[in-house]
Amino acid sequence: MNQHIHTAEDLKGVEAAGLTTLYPNRLKIVVGSASCGIAVGAGAVEAAAIAAIKELGLDAEVTRTGCIGFCSQEPLLDLVVPNGPRISYGNMTPEKTRSLLSAYASGKDLRLDMALAWFAGEEYILTGESHPYSPPENAVAGLPEWSSLAFYRSQKKVILRNCGSINPLSISEAIARGSYRGAMTALTGMTPEKVIEEMTKSGLRGRGGAAFPTGLKWKFASQASGETKYVVCNADEGEPGSYMDRTVLEGDPHAVLEGMLIGAFAIGAREGFIYVRSEYPLAIDTLQNAINDAEKAGLLGDDILSSGWSFRVKIRVGAGAYICGEETALLESIEGHAGEPRSRPPFPVTEGLWGKPTVVNNVKTWASVAPILTRGAGWYAAMGTERTKGTTVFSLEGAVKNAGLVEVPFGISLREMIYEIGGGVIGDRPLKALQAGGAARGCIPPSMLDLAIDMEDRPGESVMIGTGGIIALDDSACMADMARFLVGFFLDESCGKCVPCREGLRQLSGIMDRICGGSGSEADLVLLERLAGTMKAAAVCGLGGMAPGAVLATLQNFRPEFEKHIHDKSCPAGVCRCLAKK
Amino acid sequence: MAQDTNQQKVTTSQKDDKGPWGAVLVCGGGIAGIQASLDLSAAGFRVYLVEESPTIGGGMARLDKTFPTGDCATCIISPKLVECMRDLNIEVMTMADVTGLVGEAGRFHATVLKRPRSIDASKCTGCGDCWSACPVRNHPEIPDDFLPRLELNKEETTHLDELLYSYEGEPGAMMPVLREINETYHHLPRTILEQIASRWGVRLAEILRVASFYDQFKLQPVGRHIVEACDGTSCHSRGARAILERLQEIIGVQPGETDKAGRYTLRTVRCLGLCASSPAMRVNGRSFGRVNLDRVPEILEQFK
Repeated sequence: MNQHIHTAEDLKGVEAAGLTTLYPNRLKIVVGSASCGIAVGAGAVEAAAIAAIKELGLDAEVTRTGCIGFCSQEPLLDLVVPNGPRISYGNMTPEKTRSLLSAYASGKDLRLDMALAWFAGEEYILTGESHPYSPPENAVAGLPEWSSLAFYRSQKKVILRNCGSINPLSISEAIARGSYRGAMTALTGMTPEKVIEEMTKSGLRGRGGAAFPTGLKWKFASQASGETKYVVCNADEGEPGSYMDRTVLEGDPHAVLEGMLIGAFAIGAREGFIYVRSEYPLAIDTLQNAINDAEKAGLLGDDILSSGWSFRVKIRVGAGAYICGEETALLESIEGHAGEPRSRPPFPVTEGLWGKPTVVNNVKTWASVAPILTRGAGWYAAMGTERTKGTTVFSLEGAVKNAGLVEVPFGISLREMIYEIGGGVIGDRPLKALQAGGAARGCIPPSMLDLAIDMEDRPGESVMIGTGGIIALDDSACMADMARFLVGFFLDESCGKCVPCREGLRQLSGIMDRICGGSGSEADLVLLERLAGTMKAAAVCGLGGMAPGAVLATLQNFRPEFEKHIHDKSCPAGVCRCLAKK
Repeated sequence: MAQDTNQQKVTTSQKDDKGPWGAVLVCGGGIAGIQASLDLSAAGFRVYLVEESPTIGGGMARLDKTFPTGDCATCIISPKLVECMRDLNIEVMTMADVTGLVGEAGRFHATVLKRPRSIDASKCTGCGDCWSACPVRNHPEIPDDFLPRLELNKEETTHLDELLYSYEGEPGAMMPVLREINETYHHLPRTILEQIASRWGVRLAEILRVASFYDQFKLQPVGRHIVEACDGTSCHSRGARAILERLQEIIGVQPGETDKAGRYTLRTVRCLGLCASSPAMRVNGRSFGRVNLDRVPEILEQFK
């Protein structure tokens, strides 16, 4: 596609082109080819499909899509049958692919015995429309429908709206599902103030973990003085156990670009940066391709959508530093320095990138922007709880049967998350703990399962799952070992700028080594608590202040297990090798 | 050298056989030399304090605080400087070098070469105007432009030229440039960093500071294949430690090291983002999920 998009009609034209590739007139074979699929063999499945088509003389095409979220079923392969159903097959291998396609070639047999589920239709979140599939009667008899699967029943895909449904390298497929309608609405029919007002009304709060109201942040930046302003997307997803930002960038990069375009218009920025961590090469390539396409289509560059507004986006790639996920460290890194955090205030909204007003938002926050404009703030605010509106993405993993990405409205309980969506613990072993919401949150016990998931802690009511990673641990995990692991992580990632963090973590790590090595004493626990208090009070940035929480929370919730290590010199789970398993 | 006008005041004890006798030469006018001179003078010796730079005070005069008490350095040294200059028993010889020493303990003969100061020290008020007025000497030393130690070969030069050209005028180009070099050479060769420092007119130390901060930037050459074992929380809970130990056993190195044949470099990485397919590892950017111990040698074998 080479012509520029200026008007709503132009957008419609591209939409038509996108629909023809989304629903072609011949068999479409879609392979889930995000990093999670590729890591477990999607490449071989795709190659097998291409070879089989050639061999069998099938009139079919093979395309790729991002991650639909059901990672424990990867590699996933979907068949989209013209005037028929879309059927998803899980845990595919090259052999299974060949037998599936030869069965289809020989008599349109869809091998429902191998299938995971069928799709009744596609919901376009951005427009509110949907595309139903209409399989002939009995074509999918006995097969569960996708949205009735336990894993998907409670999900509401807003951020992940297009992941797993479009070819991430095709801008026209994104547009066919409603992308850039929000930008059209904002740039051609709204004032920047109106856009910010809409964001404020929606109740959207930063999805990176800190939960700062997005509308307010934009307002501050728009009111800050200065001609040059920036928008920045924080895609330095360093938090272990979280990978939803990667999935969005790999599966629907235009969601982020559109959000940034709208944000830039609202605050008055002409330039944007996306800071992606270097561990995500596929995300970087996909994003770069999307930027090129958007530039060719005139959706980035000068005079976007004939509004006179110009905006450009550049990618900056990290180099393996967790601390760069902290917004001021990230800005330092974009400027070309070592990623050491700055003291705040001044906050980036007034003095950010190169000292100019800058809005830094997370990938999920940017991806939430467009639907708020196309469907309205009221629609968005109706999801979630009284205090925390909308949806967010969790990555559910560890010892659960259904591992993957889960997007739900706020307010569902951890129990629903683990036992309904997650399908329970692998091997039906007892659940021992959850490491949820980022490494600094430590491990929480099963007694907290009935609390609602939220962006803040309210004792007895809700638990904060800031960064969205939920790792289920069964009874084979040792809590002291987990605490030691988490401290080790922060020790590795401390930038060393301030003493409380640099030295404090070294000492905390020494204490945990002693406890796990059988030479811990009661005095170590006292020292640990004192040290943690000092770090919280004195560290320069969030990393040093939060890091001791990893041990403190775990200790608080699992004190008897720590004491066993100290007094009985035993590790109940048998993980700490120096100690007896008792 | 100034006339030794204080000759007569030199301790009477010189003639006294019982008391201190003779003179002492102290080399170096730092805090140690100053204190030694003051102590010797107090003990009754005539002292010649020789200092090569234009003034006494040495390193301590430049410090803010002193270890371990954190006391103000200037507050300690200033009174001693004044005392030293006023002490009639101490003759301070600045811009001077000891060029010869003969004799034996108790009867040395020292030769001191004094370089010209080119002003009349007795008239000097310390205003500093001579500095700017002097057409010949005492120009502040401006270091030469930094020059790289080694030239690059043609291929390296072309690559660097193109790379720097593509980021010309771009603010914050440091990270992308270092990243591209790191990708091309699998580490950051010192010679290339020196070239960049020279062309950008920044200090090499500034580049090294950025280069050494980030995990992915390596200052030493690495093996042909980079093996990364994920050490994220999900992988840790699903047996990543055993996978890492297996890798260490097969490759025969610790994380962060390269084997002798230069085939593999082993690293750990904090989360590859393949948490639902844990445990995960990656070789040369190719990811492998749901790794088990049996698959480890199989995966490594694919990379010769």
